[in-house]
Amino acid sequence: MDVFYFTEMPYAEFPESEAEKFPSMRLTFPNTYFDADTASGLMNRYLDEYQYAEEMGFDGLMINEHHNTPSCMDVEVNITGGILARITKQARILMLGNMLPTSDNPVRLAEEIALLDVISGGRIISGFVRGIGIESWANNTNPIHNRERFEECHDLVVKTWTTPGPFRWEGNHYHYRAVNPWMLPVQKPHPPVWVPGTGSPETVEWTARRRYTYAAFLTPLEVAKSLFARYREYAAEDGWEPGPEKFAFMICCHVNDTDEKAQESGKAFLWRMNYPLRGPREYWSPPGYTSRAGAQAVAARRPTPLHELSYEELQERYHLVVGSPDTVIKKLRHIRDELGVGSLLLEAQGGRLSHADTMRSIELFGKEVIPALK
Amino acid sequence: MPNFTEETISVAGGNLQVYKGGSGDPLLVLHGAGGNAGPRRYAQALAEKFTVYLPSHPGYGKSDRPGWVETMQDLACFYTWYQEQEGLENARAIGFSMGGWLAAEMLSMTGHAFRKVMLVGAAGIKPNDGEITDIFIISPQQVRELVYHDPAQVPEWDELFGSDPTPEQAQQAEGDREMAIRLTWRPYMHNPRLPAKLGRVSIPTHIVWGENDNLVPVECARLYQQALAGSQVTVIPNCGHSPQIEKPDEFVQAALAFL
Repeated sequence: MDVFYFTEMPYAEFPESEAEKFPSMRLTFPNTYFDADTASGLMNRYLDEYQYAEEMGFDGLMINEHHNTPSCMDVEVNITGGILARITKQARILMLGNMLPTSDNPVRLAEEIALLDVISGGRIISGFVRGIGIESWANNTNPIHNRERFEECHDLVVKTWTTPGPFRWEGNHYHYRAVNPWMLPVQKPHPPVWVPGTGSPETVEWTARRRYTYAAFLTPLEVAKSLFARYREYAAEDGWEPGPEKFAFMICCHVNDTDEKAQESGKAFLWRMNYPLRGPREYWSPPGYTSRAGAQAVAARRPTPLHELSYEELQERYHLVVGSPDTVIKKLRHIRDELGVGSLLLEAQGGRLSHADTMRSIELFGKEVIPALK
Repeated sequence: MPNFTEETISVAGGNLQVYKGGSGDPLLVLHGAGGNAGPRRYAQALAEKFTVYLPSHPGYGKSDRPGWVETMQDLACFYTWYQEQEGLENARAIGFSMGGWLAAEMLSMTGHAFRKVMLVGAAGIKPNDGEITDIFIISPQQVRELVYHDPAQVPEWDELFGSDPTPEQAQQAEGDREMAIRLTWRPYMHNPRLPAKLGRVSIPTHIVWGENDNLVPVECARLYQQALAGSQVTVIPNCGHSPQIEKPDEFVQAALAFL
């Protein structure tokens, strides 16, 4: 099994209760709380930690992007991906991912990912995401068109990678006279594509039909199981059987020397489970963003929002795995055996988890946890 | 009280839900972004003098959305099609809020869209000083609080808002909101080219606004007046975004005097 290191690169250097003065910590939370010098220190720290994660033996480094939120300072995975491509040597770089619906230029996107694949020597995993509803606001892209833009943007990016240029593209949302970028990916026919989901049935089907890897994000184990089962059903319909490499599972995870120490330092993750996940329905899911059937399916599957769960409940439900190396190994093996996933995506830095605790955690992952999962 | 009927007709390949009532010359009433509230008190009063046509826009209520109706200009095209089919060209018209913008788009497309038209709290033109309130980023409950200046003076409040919506009504409202988002997301609730295109209009136009409109700033009444040569403006004091619901008597009086 492959293990990926991940941080959302949070900016938690302000009193979190300030969020209560606003509808959410996202979208409209004023950026007057932002300090560029602080961010500079944090961003460079996080990149150092990624480098150390590779050194200690993580198989892959995962990055993501969001907008208008202190919970994630990465605003462009193709920038941080470019940095990681250059400062690391072996680890795969999982960009999970580029937001397709908010992109107005899929050809430029295809070029950028190709460039990263070239610089990294073919280490890019190209995640494609719809973006949470908030991204529709931040980028001002009509949520009604989210899914159709996702699909058309995807089709064009993949065609750009795989079809000799020049060709024309006259679609519904995207139009080009001469698609013919000089830069093409190292990996053939194109870098692996991964798609995350939290329960939308359309996404599972779309991913399965294209034989891409489906990554369940912070869902209860039984929900991930049922999503993977759906994937396998679609695959069976199409006459193939997916191996573990088609399934990934993302959780928060923290190791420290002892259970006691880990339980104490792991509380830092409560920051990311709290205010950053709150906000009005209109922010998270503007009308039209999700099909009404999809919205109902998601609601039925994850009845309690993460921000309403206690530290203990988050751990019981495997959204957050915390402990000594032995404890964490046991729990991650349980996940692996229950779900049959080929990759575990571990958000191992979260909230205000300090540099020292993060580095110690990465070290213990590398020395004890990852070898035990192989 | 004139009787209204609800009928479904086929227009441009889809079903269109239309409330129809009264007698006399035709009067086309175009609802706003919030949806078709049916023949409220103001419509009943207007039906004493006119045959009132109150359709649910494509994608709203029980009306289908032909797949090509994506923008306000598409919607305007749809309605000129409807007018032609139903013999409503040169009818009188009233457009409320987004429906006012719709009427203005239709005016910009043809010289025989209407005989006379009233634009009420109309979206469509970007204010210079304020902003058109973003009704999509706040909850429907918050929108309602902004629409009415003084709920206590809304005579039909209980009828409109007195009981919780049924699941079907909630689904309907969600569908209406989705359609509004489809039509008006960006640029939000206005067309930068509309004022220039209104230069062709020569029919009588009457612009009506609630003085305390919290959604579309009352300065837009003046901007519409500048764009529409010879138009008259009535500002109703102590009144929010929907004078026809909040001050139906004053609204109907102004409407009948003009139409």
